[in-house]
Amino acid sequence: MTDPVSSRSDDTIVRVRGLTTVLNGKTIFDSLDLDIPRGKITAIMGPSGTGKTTLLKHITGQMRGDRGEVSVDGQNVPDLSRENLFRLRERIGYLFQNSALLTDFDVFENVAFPLRQHTKLPEVLIRNIVLTKLQAVGLRGAARLMPTELSGGMARRVALARAIVFDPALILYDEPFVGLDPIALNQVLKLIRTLNKTLGITSILVAHELAAVQHVADHVFLIANGKVVAQGDAATLANDGSPWTRQFFGGEADGPVPFQYPAGDYGTALGFPGGSL
Amino acid sequence: MSARMDRGVVTQSLAQIGACGLFLLTLLAAIPRSFRYGRETVRQIWFVGAMSLTIVMTCGLFVGMVLGLQLYDVLSIFGGTSATGTVVAIAIYRELGPVVTALLFAGRAGTSITAEIGLMRATDQLDAMEMMAVDPIAYVAAPRFLAGIVALPLLGVVFCAMGVFGGHLVGVTWLGIDNGTFWSNMTATVDVHKDIINGVLLKSIAFGIVVSLIAVYQGYTTPPTSEGVAYATTRTVVASSIAILALDFVLTSFLI
Repeated sequence: MTDPVSSRSDDTIVRVRGLTTVLNGKTIFDSLDLDIPRGKITAIMGPSGTGKTTLLKHITGQMRGDRGEVSVDGQNVPDLSRENLFRLRERIGYLFQNSALLTDFDVFENVAFPLRQHTKLPEVLIRNIVLTKLQAVGLRGAARLMPTELSGGMARRVALARAIVFDPALILYDEPFVGLDPIALNQVLKLIRTLNKTLGITSILVAHELAAVQHVADHVFLIANGKVVAQGDAATLANDGSPWTRQFFGGEADGPVPFQYPAGDYGTALGFPGGSL
Repeated sequence: MSARMDRGVVTQSLAQIGACGLFLLTLLAAIPRSFRYGRETVRQIWFVGAMSLTIVMTCGLFVGMVLGLQLYDVLSIFGGTSATGTVVAIAIYRELGPVVTALLFAGRAGTSITAEIGLMRATDQLDAMEMMAVDPIAYVAAPRFLAGIVALPLLGVVFCAMGVFGGHLVGVTWLGIDNGTFWSNMTATVDVHKDIINGVLLKSIAFGIVVSLIAVYQGYTTPPTSEGVAYATTRTVVASSIAILALDFVLTSFLI
């Protein structure tokens, strides 16, 4: 049986070509093209609502585009049967934005869940693997807490331990830095970097925190208006001077991305005679 | 305007029934895969079955008691109070047992199944399972569906036993019907096949399938919001109640 993710040797692990997705009449991706390099940490950035999480869902087959190709290690994800898609997912770790811990289980069982479902490892080995992963995220002592007893940051770290419990070839992080205190943030950054360096795991992370991204990412894609508007390493992008990067990395309200959601005249909405303020 | 609204409601209801039917096919296809989660099914049987015992036993007792009281009152007009046990038993076995148990089950267990799965949907737990290559239909939906089908007939039997006991309590202990007459008339009239197997068990199994399907379907397809979960829970009770009563009529017309 071939390993669905890690056996290929070419440099691109995820290839997106001509991806077009329209949701509720809104074009999310407009013939999007991008290549995610194998063995690197790639950040997907962009204004809110540009479809960064949606892109991750296309990569994992949770969503399908209207047109175009999304291939992971040479396999076009939308064409995969459910069985093959599940085989692919066994080699992909996914960190959800809201952690998505199983509320019936404690921390230990949450992390052990994928192992129990897909392996017949002896209990002692499962215990050691789980404790190793929990130690990596600093929560070995919280193994018997229930998800409701965890803070947001702790839940995220447990979800991270669960995402890496199989040592996947590809990990997708959806907003991994939200809600982390500076200590936990630093540890998570180190962990992402260590996983990448020691195990060669490819990481794709969706994030808004420029400093964290600069610290950890090898390559950054800036997505806006359904396309890649800039790409490169974080330091170069932050200084490249294009209107997109200037506005996004400078946090400016004026620029190609409107701060205001499309609306009618403000003065008229407030009832001022003559309309415009 | 009203006719158009009625057409809208009818179309929407038919669409819901169609979607529920398609969901049933998916569920049936997932059942063989769900056998590997046998412990989860047993846990759900405990949760929807054993945890519903108190309400089912209490209600069964009171239904039997009030039935005994009413029947004694009516039958005494004709001097036929000795038939109280028989009529209590037949009314409970054929109708009240399976129907009231199913209605109670929809309110107690059906709503909790819908709310639980709905909240799992709202908090991305079902998506997380998908991402861990675990089929949530086989792991979450099918065990709850099977648990309902197993638990409801058992609860129906318990309800009937408590109902007859309630009838006995009022008729014999309180109102003074002869104990021997109460039981002998009942055992002479009640038919195991017609009243127990067809009445209690067959109907309860059918209601178990319908209520569990509705509860699981509503939870699984709920919009991932708190309002969505609230509506789904309400829809479980409403749709289950209508389905139970309608199906009861259809089944009775075939079984009688």
